[in-house]
Amino acid sequence: MEGARAQSRSTRLFLILCAATLLLAMLSQQPWAAGARGVARSALAPAEGAMTSFAHQVERVASVFGDVSSLRAENQRLRAADEQLRRQIVELNAAAKENSALRQALDFEKSSGHRMVAANVIGRGPDGFSRTMQIDRGTTDGVLPGMVVATGAGLLGRVREVGPHAAIVQTLGDPQSRVNVYLSASKLAGTLSGGPTSLQLEIPHTLGVSPGNGEWAITSGVGGSYPRGLVVGEVASVAHRDSSTADQVQVAWVNDPSSTTFVLVITDFQPS
Amino acid sequence: MKRLAGLCLMAAAALAQATWAPHLEVGGAFPNLVLLGVVAVSWTLGTRSALVWAVIGGLLLDLTASGAVGPHALALLPGAYLVGFWIRNLEHPNALHVALAAGACTLLYSAVLVLTDGLLGTPVPPPSVALELALAAAAYNAVLMPVAFELVRRLLSTFHTPQPT
Repeated sequence: MEGARAQSRSTRLFLILCAATLLLAMLSQQPWAAGARGVARSALAPAEGAMTSFAHQVERVASVFGDVSSLRAENQRLRAADEQLRRQIVELNAAAKENSALRQALDFEKSSGHRMVAANVIGRGPDGFSRTMQIDRGTTDGVLPGMVVATGAGLLGRVREVGPHAAIVQTLGDPQSRVNVYLSASKLAGTLSGGPTSLQLEIPHTLGVSPGNGEWAITSGVGGSYPRGLVVGEVASVAHRDSSTADQVQVAWVNDPSSTTFVLVITDFQPS
Repeated sequence: MKRLAGLCLMAAAALAQATWAPHLEVGGAFPNLVLLGVVAVSWTLGTRSALVWAVIGGLLLDLTASGAVGPHALALLPGAYLVGFWIRNLEHPNALHVALAAGACTLLYSAVLVLTDGLLGTPVPPPSVALELALAAAAYNAVLMPVAFELVRRLLSTFHTPQPT
């Protein structure tokens, strides 16, 4: 009897909470709630930033231990070497790598001719269905929804939502992501779609020309969603079927979102 | 004190979910720490507590995701409710049951999340991709669940104050 009453109370609470969260989802999605949503997300951004920074520290320490163990295995003479010195070397290497990435980004900014805002990646989407990342720049820094996001290596995605001090970027890895590209050598064009493990490009059959491995996929600017000339990736494999009307091309993305820590938001390109 | 500790833990799980968990990606899937926490709470503290923590954890996840606020909270609720209902009828629960519960909860969570996003007009992945990701995540969470369950159980026993006899 008591068990049935407890079950009934749980069911009632379950239904009430389901209705409340569904209502909240519907209301918070309205355009007039975008500001409040952005502010709420920005409030969480510092904690995410701190957590990400802590994760980087842990990774750095782990890499120090990894280096130490491999050196021990490789060379017996280095057993007595000072651990602190090695850590400094690893840290300097990490700093040099970061410097190189920043320099690459600076070169990219200069060569692309676009105005950009630099941002740190402070978080990633909590579920596998939407491949997004959170950056520490928002409307106060001139970032707006729809703006294109890149790294020194090439295109990363587009800004989907913005708060005052943070923004959410939909990466090309998102299954809903679409970008029109052309291939550097064959000049064939197609639409590239995102996926959890790789980027897929569909290229309609053209007489006498076929895509080849190693070609670069570059944004074509068709459709007006992305500026022309941004590098997306390299053709990794081509699946050609005579029975099909299009070739299926796998593209190795130039960016690895799991290790991207620094991005550039192109602020002077307005998608049409 | 217990509630404050719970809130801190849930916030830490949600933040870790948005910062650390994606680094543990295997085959496009990564663990859902908040879901693991909710299943563990459902098992140890009962359905009603699990429902409340599912909403709190889900809302925190929503604040780290794009789109509306609420879909993650809504998606965590059916799993919390059904696990509570299931364990009530279970005589000798073991690690396999805990793992199965996490796997089933993940599938339910994924289905509700995709359906809610579809209902709200948010872009959703194609069904084949969604199914692939949901199955991979279910397997991942099922493997991690016994460990998460043991952690939560020990934490709760730390905060447990014995009743005077």
